[in-house]
Amino acid sequence: MAILDISGIVAGYGAGPDILKGLSLAIEPERSYCVIGPNGAGKSTLLKVICGLVPAREGAVVFEGDRLNGLRTDEILHRGICFVPQDRSLFPDMTIRENLRMGGYILKDRREVDRRIEEVYGMFPILKERNSQLAKTLSGGQQQMLLIGRALVLRPRIIMLDEPSLGLAPIVSRQIFDSMNTLKAAGITIIVVEQNARMGLQFADWGCVLDLGKAMFEGPSASILEDPRIEELYLGRRRSRAGADA
Amino acid sequence: MTQTVQIIILGLSLGGVFALMASGLTLIFGVMGIINLAHAAFIILASFITFGLFKYFALDPILSIVIVMPVMFIVGVAVYRIFFARSIADPNKRGVTVLLTFAIALVIEGTLGFLFSNIYRSTSPSYASSAILFGPYYLPEAQFYATILSAVILIGLWAFLQYTRTGYAIRATMHNRTAAEVVGVNVDRISMLVFGIGMALAGASGAMVSFLFSVYPSKHWEFVAILLSLVVLGGMGSLLGALVGALVLSVAAAFVSSYYGPVWSPVTFYLALFTILLFRPQGLMGKKAEF
Repeated sequence: MAILDISGIVAGYGAGPDILKGLSLAIEPERSYCVIGPNGAGKSTLLKVICGLVPAREGAVVFEGDRLNGLRTDEILHRGICFVPQDRSLFPDMTIRENLRMGGYILKDRREVDRRIEEVYGMFPILKERNSQLAKTLSGGQQQMLLIGRALVLRPRIIMLDEPSLGLAPIVSRQIFDSMNTLKAAGITIIVVEQNARMGLQFADWGCVLDLGKAMFEGPSASILEDPRIEELYLGRRRSRAGADA
Repeated sequence: MTQTVQIIILGLSLGGVFALMASGLTLIFGVMGIINLAHAAFIILASFITFGLFKYFALDPILSIVIVMPVMFIVGVAVYRIFFARSIADPNKRGVTVLLTFAIALVIEGTLGFLFSNIYRSTSPSYASSAILFGPYYLPEAQFYATILSAVILIGLWAFLQYTRTGYAIRATMHNRTAAEVVGVNVDRISMLVFGIGMALAGASGAMVSFLFSVYPSKHWEFVAILLSLVVLGGMGSLLGALVGALVLSVAAAFVSSYYGPVWSPVTFYLALFTILLFRPQGLMGKKAEF
């Protein structure tokens, strides 16, 4: 049974046009998903709808039989769904520890938050080393680790990452995906939106192609990587023949 | 030398009160991005409330702070709910909030002018006319109390922001609104709370303004220009910046007033405003850009 059932979602920003136009997707527990698609397909919007940052105009998001539509982000966080946004949404002038503490903001028990921060430090020792440094002094990769660590303080059931490798050097991106593999091994359901579609699909069990606000295709990542149509349309095919025509 | 030290003492003591006046303005800007042109009008409103309590109930203006602050907090929450809650949620409408604050300032001024006419008023507690002497120096007693009280309130505010869970949430919202939302901060509630706190701070400073200056309904234009200049100098949204800006500019204005006459004292603030906007628009402690 799906842990998260997304059906017929129509959503957009403010009074603007619909970005998602009837998107449906079933997320199975402990599976990792990579959402790919062209710019403007609605990938980030999908994640924002799930975590309550953007309200759905139509359709339903159901988490373990519990409807999430209309709930505030903090209420959705309480259910164990965390979102790591794209724009390095840290608190730049707070220390690393304070950033992690903000990750546990919805938990009232401060000692429990401190315990969980220690767990995060276990996973990202570099964060512990820089504990009292301001977040803005970290490198791009370390900031991404801090963002993931901040979400982990809540011990989420589902973690959603929006372009975690954006702007990172390939070797650093690989480190980030390595740490995501650790999350996967820990049984956390992962939904990642990734511009670097190949890397994302190699990481995830399952792929989903979004275009024009709908899920056009979904299936095991390996089959998507091998599908020539999808390769041509969304993966930027290495044009052996077509290259000569261009 | 004695004169120089005396000017610094007077400048710093007034600077403390200006810092308190500006703290609410900078806090509201930091959290909501609203440049509240009505801030000084609310300070004047609080002065009038203090004046009323003094005149009809013989309540000491300093003591009246315990009434004025909560009243202004409630006023702030109501103003936020009625006028700002919807407009700041929509980024496209955020730009017009400055016009809204301008309108609120006019309404407060007009209402006060209608009810109390535009004559000068001030409360006159016993300490308003005496001075504290130490060696060759003096400090008006009223200014002394106002400075101490401003410092206490500002330290309290700082500790609240630094150490409480709500304080963390306020700072987080100031740093990055989206990030705050993502970790579960109810930014709408925080904004409402901060508007209330900002108005409560305006209330406390208004109570002190009532015996430090003569007030009349349109006095707020003079104040808001000064407050904006020192907030811009310190860096919009920075509390420490507002304090530094207030102290630096008040001392500078005291020097200008002493050497060139009081008429030139307000010019100090405007000159500083122009200079800072030309050479360091983010202010002394403001953030340059988000990352």
